[in-house]
Amino acid sequence: MKMKKIAAVLTTTALGVSLLAGCGGKKAEELVLFTWEGMFPQEILDGFEKETGIKVVYSNFDTDETMLEKLSQAKGGDYDVVIADDYIIEKAVEQQLVKKLDKEKIKNFDNINPLYQGQFYDKNNEYTVPYGSGIPLIVYDPSQVDIEIKGYSDLWDPSLEDSIALVANYRVICGITQLSMGESMNEEDPEVIAKTGERLKELAPNVRMIQDDNTQNALLNGEASVGFLYTSQVTAALAENPDLKVVYPEEGLGFGIMNMFIPSNAPSEDAAYKFIDYILEPENAAECFNHIGYYSTNKAADELVNPNLVVPENVTKGEIVQNVSQEAEDAYSKAWTEFKAACD
Amino acid sequence: MKSKAGKKRTSVFMILPLYLFTIVFVACPLIYVLILSFTPQEGGFAFTLENYRRILEPVYLDTFVQSFQLAITSTLIICVVGYPFGYFMARLPKEKKEKAMLFLMLPFWVNSLIRLYGWIIILQKKGILNYILEKLGIIDEPLKILYSYPAIVIGMVYVLLPFMAMSVYSSAEKLDWSLVEAARDLGASKTQAFFHIILKLTFPGLLSGIILTFIPSMGLFFIADILGGNKIVLVGSLIQEQMTRGNNWPFAAALAVILMLLTTAMIMAYRKITNAKELEGIG
Repeated sequence: MKMKKIAAVLTTTALGVSLLAGCGGKKAEELVLFTWEGMFPQEILDGFEKETGIKVVYSNFDTDETMLEKLSQAKGGDYDVVIADDYIIEKAVEQQLVKKLDKEKIKNFDNINPLYQGQFYDKNNEYTVPYGSGIPLIVYDPSQVDIEIKGYSDLWDPSLEDSIALVANYRVICGITQLSMGESMNEEDPEVIAKTGERLKELAPNVRMIQDDNTQNALLNGEASVGFLYTSQVTAALAENPDLKVVYPEEGLGFGIMNMFIPSNAPSEDAAYKFIDYILEPENAAECFNHIGYYSTNKAADELVNPNLVVPENVTKGEIVQNVSQEAEDAYSKAWTEFKAACD
Repeated sequence: MKSKAGKKRTSVFMILPLYLFTIVFVACPLIYVLILSFTPQEGGFAFTLENYRRILEPVYLDTFVQSFQLAITSTLIICVVGYPFGYFMARLPKEKKEKAMLFLMLPFWVNSLIRLYGWIIILQKKGILNYILEKLGIIDEPLKILYSYPAIVIGMVYVLLPFMAMSVYSSAEKLDWSLVEAARDLGASKTQAFFHIILKLTFPGLLSGIILTFIPSMGLFFIADILGGNKIVLVGSLIQEQMTRGNNWPFAAALAVILMLLTTAMIMAYRKITNAKELEGIG
């Protein structure tokens, strides 16, 4: 939490400075990149400048919501390439802040892994280019677990009593409960959510701890033998203990996809296309994914990237947690509170 | 006369920043929270009691009950440990007293989150405590203390104990020992003298220690998060969650208002019982 706050302060300062710098007027050709802090290795940005002569101006935001706010104030201008999360892009497209891509100008477009395309925010792949995916997965220590875990429903197995570490994201945890029930992760029907809550409560005896930060530590220090972890935590856990087993649940994956898009009034559109194409080059993409530690969304980069960041071939379906009505949101949060109360 | 009036004016100017500060940083946010708690979740300015009605749902009432239970348990333990701590500290010779005070304050130089992570190392399955107990042959299998209710209580006691020790200390230091001697001279036993004189005279300190530990322990959600593995929902964690993931600020505001009312009631009760205007040890 503290780190996030510090990051926020730094980001704001950086933003302030970059705004001031922006007053100087443009000299060489520039590309204004708008995303979270630390999304690219410096070598990649330098490499782009060397190859094209276009200078990358890195401007960052703290949350998706801030990005949308700024972009809508700028009426889709000011920025050339934006990278943000799936659900917010849906809103940006609705508000006509996103430009339709001219795929002629992106020769590497076919490198994209189709698993991450055709999603709710861009059904026809007209606006976005995926840039890494986060997939919470089950990781377990086979020497401590008697059963073979294949999917979410195995988490309910009585042999796992008091041994599961969970991330504290209630939409994700309710979501996998729903996937295990054959429902959608984005159900809005109060009755289904109530049923989800009941089913979730049955998981309570198996839960060892719930935490959002460094959840993998519980798995590494032996407190828990099964973890349901975010991508970065999965990677960190495997780096420390390669004997851990990763499960790509048979019920399908719940994931989040970050995407690049060009705002509707981007000042240097051509530079934006060049940048997207440059990032889609397999070598560059691999370097980026290794840097951010998210799953590769670039099929051509799969061979080059850290093997832990490639989703196996047989994984074909997935669902993304989307915005639901406030009523449904409250029902989910209530189910979650009841679940936690049942845990102790 | 003239000079008096002049004095008054300067003092008003001196106090003005304090008033401004209080209004801007204390009163305004509180009023904002209060107003927010009566607005609907969708936003806008309509008046609604919906947020307060929601608190009455069993699951949320339960978090208040849980928080109270935990606060009572930790406060009781803190009383039992902290009272003798503060009392004996006050009876030390001056030099040792200063050292004891330093040792009591020393942990505050380190962020409490970091100190709590230290407890993880002690309590975890492959931790120091289990290692020692196993070596001593007291247990065969490592205890699962971390991420359990006792772990939370340990954390609460650890973080809040200094406050109790400090307030009892400041009470006990002011104690007039001639009164105890007089009681003993008049035939009171040691226990009688303790209960009739010492305990009575240090009672304000004990009570303020209770207030100083009970109220924060309702809100120290990070202890339940870090040592309890988030498995017990306290009002504090509920408010935090509604503010962040739940994106329901009005409901969080209503919870905060109720929590503030409860703690205010406790402080009023303290003032009634002790007739004191300030809490012992910080006043």
